[in-house]
Amino acid sequence: MKTILEDYIIELVICAVAIILMILNPHKVVLGLTYAVNMYVSLFLVILSVAFISGFISETVPPNTIAKIIGKKSGWKGVLIGAVFGTFMVGPSYVFYTLFRNLIDKGAGINVIATTIGAWAIKVQWIPFAISILGWKFVVIFNSLIFIYAIISGYVVDFFVKRKESRKD
Amino acid sequence: MQNFIIGIIILALTVGLYIIYLRKDKTKLKKAVQRGVKNLIQNSIRIFAIFVIIGILQNFLSKESVGNFLLKFSGIKGIFTGTIVGAIMMGPVATGYPISKYLLENMAPISLVTSFLASWVMIGFISISLEVKNFGKRFTVVRNLFAFISVIIIALIMEVLL
Repeated sequence: MKTILEDYIIELVICAVAIILMILNPHKVVLGLTYAVNMYVSLFLVILSVAFISGFISETVPPNTIAKIIGKKSGWKGVLIGAVFGTFMVGPSYVFYTLFRNLIDKGAGINVIATTIGAWAIKVQWIPFAISILGWKFVVIFNSLIFIYAIISGYVVDFFVKRKESRKD
Repeated sequence: MQNFIIGIIILALTVGLYIIYLRKDKTKLKKAVQRGVKNLIQNSIRIFAIFVIIGILQNFLSKESVGNFLLKFSGIKGIFTGTIVGAIMMGPVATGYPISKYLLENMAPISLVTSFLASWVMIGFISISLEVKNFGKRFTVVRNLFAFISVIIIALIMEVLL
């Protein structure tokens, strides 16, 4: 019971806040819950796949395989793979966090994972919509700067975080 | 629709991996399935909780109220406020573009609009708990602190260039 409380403390706080808000303004909270259900349903296949790919990687893939492709020693190639993957993926990055954690456990570079999460800020699928609203100049410069940030972010995080510290046991 | 397409592609890849491995080692595969189920339950609870808070926030914070609040600030104060408000805002960034347009139409500085949008996509205040759980405190603090500094730098560069 204590472990469950510790593990899901934030979710329980969210639940409590939702209940309080529901008493104050039931209509808005119902709209919020509807949004949550819609989001979950629309991302269900991604959430399902990430859960089982993570399980697969942690049980079957030898550490060397991952380390060779996106390990710290993979150099700029690994960073580039992370940056491109992060740039072109859709959905919120936190849906993929379990997978990233498993990849780190199996030898992926912390720089590669931090770069991937950083590059996730580039929302490729929304670029045409963004250009129609904010103009191409704004969108191109904005996303180029984010791409540069993502790559530097990988090196900065890697510099300050040691491998064993990246995992909360 | 894009989420569905990506979902189908990743699911096909996952099923493919499991089928290929089926011939190699069934015991390990069984363990992988068990871990997958555990991951699915844990992730679903955590991700759904985040979706609930995003849904509630979106309904309590209207585009106009966020826009009008940000318009009160300019200069360095504007960049900081834009960064903090952007970090709190979650959900698809498509909602952030109309707010940014509203801000620009009302003569808000480019740096404020940029810091708001950049922070929206680069810093996830609500998903920080998930980041800590998966990567540890140090990783989360360093990454988000660097993102915060980068948002300010990007905002200043955009102000100069546009």
